[in-house]
Amino acid sequence: MKYALFLGCKIPSGLPAYEVSTRAVLGHLGVELVDLEFQCCGYPARNYDRDAFVVAATRNLALAERHALDVLTPCMCCFGTLRHAIRMMTEDAALRARVSRSLADDGLVWSGRARVQHVLPLLAREVGVDALKAAVRAPRTDLRLAAQYGCHALRPSEVTGIDNPIAPTIFESLIRATGAIPVEWPRRLDCCGDPSHEANAPLSGRMTRAKIVDARESGAEAICTACPHCHLRFDAAQAAEPAPAVRTLLVTQLLGVAMGLPSESLGLPHAESQRGVPMSWS
Amino acid sequence: MSPALFQTLLVASLALCALGVAWRVAAWFRIRIGPDARIVTAWQRVRRVVVLVASSLFGPRGLRVLGAFCLDALLLRRLFANAPWRALAHLLVVSGFTLLVLTHALAPLVTARLVPGYQPTLEPWLFVRNLLGAMVLGGLVVLVVARWRARSRMGLPHRPRAALFAALLGIVLASGFLLEAHKIASPRAFHRMTDAFAGAADPSALASLRALWAREFGVAFDVHTDTVAADVTTAGRRLHEEACASCHAKPASAFVSWPLAKMIAPVAGTLDAVSADAWLLHLHLLACFAGLALLPFTTFLHVLAAPFSLLLDAAARHGTAPARPLPLAARATRRGLSVDACVRCAMCDLDCSVATLARHLDNRDLLPSHKLVSTRAAANPWRWDAMLRDARARADARRAADGAFLCTDCGRCTDRCPVGLDLADLWDAGRHDLAAAELPAPAAWVRQRPAIAWAESLANAGDRAALDVIDASRAPLAFDRRTFSRCVQCQTCTNVCPVVAHAMNADPRNAADQGVDLTPQKVMNLLRLGLPDLALGSRMVWDCATCYQCQEHCPEGIRVADIMCELRALSVQRLAAVRDMAEPS
Repeated sequence: MKYALFLGCKIPSGLPAYEVSTRAVLGHLGVELVDLEFQCCGYPARNYDRDAFVVAATRNLALAERHALDVLTPCMCCFGTLRHAIRMMTEDAALRARVSRSLADDGLVWSGRARVQHVLPLLAREVGVDALKAAVRAPRTDLRLAAQYGCHALRPSEVTGIDNPIAPTIFESLIRATGAIPVEWPRRLDCCGDPSHEANAPLSGRMTRAKIVDARESGAEAICTACPHCHLRFDAAQAAEPAPAVRTLLVTQLLGVAMGLPSESLGLPHAESQRGVPMSWS
Repeated sequence: MSPALFQTLLVASLALCALGVAWRVAAWFRIRIGPDARIVTAWQRVRRVVVLVASSLFGPRGLRVLGAFCLDALLLRRLFANAPWRALAHLLVVSGFTLLVLTHALAPLVTARLVPGYQPTLEPWLFVRNLLGAMVLGGLVVLVVARWRARSRMGLPHRPRAALFAALLGIVLASGFLLEAHKIASPRAFHRMTDAFAGAADPSALASLRALWAREFGVAFDVHTDTVAADVTTAGRRLHEEACASCHAKPASAFVSWPLAKMIAPVAGTLDAVSADAWLLHLHLLACFAGLALLPFTTFLHVLAAPFSLLLDAAARHGTAPARPLPLAARATRRGLSVDACVRCAMCDLDCSVATLARHLDNRDLLPSHKLVSTRAAANPWRWDAMLRDARARADARRAADGAFLCTDCGRCTDRCPVGLDLADLWDAGRHDLAAAELPAPAAWVRQRPAIAWAESLANAGDRAALDVIDASRAPLAFDRRTFSRCVQCQTCTNVCPVVAHAMNADPRNAADQGVDLTPQKVMNLLRLGLPDLALGSRMVWDCATCYQCQEHCPEGIRVADIMCELRALSVQRLAAVRDMAEPS
């Protein structure tokens, strides 16, 4: 398995631990990652200019095509955005013509060959739960986790298609593979509130808070995330508190720890493990 | 040039340079970028920076900080990592120029005192001067070419004063080389010297000396007026040893001026006739003085600003990455310094996450090197007042705002910057300045009026053409009534919407915490009725979390969330147009 790694903007600037843990875990599982000169997925421009958004997104896909690679992203928002761009390019011939002209200025061609994949389905389906179980060295049997699916990878299912949008299971299957226990929590498919934060911070805050309270009441020690936007929103909502009600843990950190990888290679230095990983681990 | 005039010009250009530097350096502590910078005074900023630098340098990690500063500022570590050729060329220019100033321009003060019997026409100075000049000239050419090649597709920032300064530097070097070449080839210079030092010599020995100097020293005698012996006799050599050799070495080691002298030999007499040496000397000196006086007012002030910026960066990093957040007073200074430290090398533009967007939207202000300038402009209140009065300036301001809010904060520009600017902090401060100048993010300014007020403005807009530049291709779903023909107004979209659900718990005491104005189902219904303008200004459009619950659950397969995204793009364009019309011009 070989992919072009699309980190997007949020991971390098806000959550470098997600990059290092993704590289460590996927490297350990034999997934080869290639770095290309990617730019923004186009997400912010979708609210500004449809053509500009599709050009920005498609440029990345055309770049991957030039290297005959599929695109793998750990960010759910980048994943959804790139998938939406593919749908628009497929549906709208006039748009496709305009975008293709713009890409041609860079000597790039989009034909739709490059697939876009997210880390969750890659781990659950392509690597496979059985292979993950085989790689686990230190099962986390004491750990109760709330799986945060994230909207942009789950819906609209006709675009993203990672799992059943009403009753998804892949995240829980990954958690079980590490020996940990996925909790049932009523708000697991709800929005984390991050996309509304700029427009309406009080509203966004209530959305985030409702999920945190729900995860805690459902017995979770941590919310397990697979998107930098969700992860950082949960952290920001609890930043002012002396001890967070529910900790946050990246899915790649969970897998890495269970596979026995050194915590430095997962972006979990001592201070970080105090904050990001349940205390019972240390 | 008379000594009096020379001294007057020297003192005047030095004074201008000193005043200019003082003025610009004071601005680093005075300019306020970001509303938070207004709460610290210039004096607090000076004190904080001095304390910060001193505590870093003399603290427990002082050696690390000093080491990081030396690597970054003197050896250009950050530039080497990104563009090794540019770094090498930059080192050549800096080292060559500094040594030229010391050994050549300040020769009476430095070289003559350190080296007994110093003469500029002896070795190794002939060679050294040419080597240093060639280093500067070669480095300069490499830098200009590299910068041109590295320009992003949006072109280079317009900076005529920097170009003028670079041209002056080129003139100084070219006139220096030409003057030296001319002096080598000039018969008049030879005669002036022999009149002074070998005036009483025997004519045949003098003719032989001319032969020696024509052959080995490159003097281009005019065969019609000067008697040049066929061979160099012993008398001629002896005369050379007695009168010339103590001050003159063979100039062949001047590897630039010597070939130049050979080239101009055919016209050496003509150049003598028009006193070319005096002209070249004047040009050389005037270009030096002009450059000195101009320096503080060009990007070449970065010779001071860039090391200062790197010193603050080293202090913030405590000598090693990652950077810790600096106190506000120090951050405000870093922001004020940024425009002067930046040389518009445009390395940030090359790696910018939104470079493709910048090009497609034809908006340079998305690119860091351009945005730097508009960010500083936005910090200047009186200029903003002018902008809001003038239509063209307002369009500039709008572009700057779009650039600021489409930035993804990916931080690549900060990582790349060779002079260690904290651009991420600068962009953040700039966005707050824009918000204070009534140019906040679209999500914020659309909310400033209720949906119905926007709809009325759109209905009463005088210039319909300005609104209709936004065609249906930008919002194919929202403009196509077939999209909604299946909508049965079942309200499933509203019932599953988390924005609607959580807005019910809005805090009535918080003015910013407003409830929902139009539910998703109402927005869809307005579009179904062909009344998009009534929905465009709705808070729902921007509050939407794009969680796609509505779209996933719609029993008729209507792409509700996709339509919300289209409405945002539409509202940014149409409402901005109608807003600009409404403002007094």
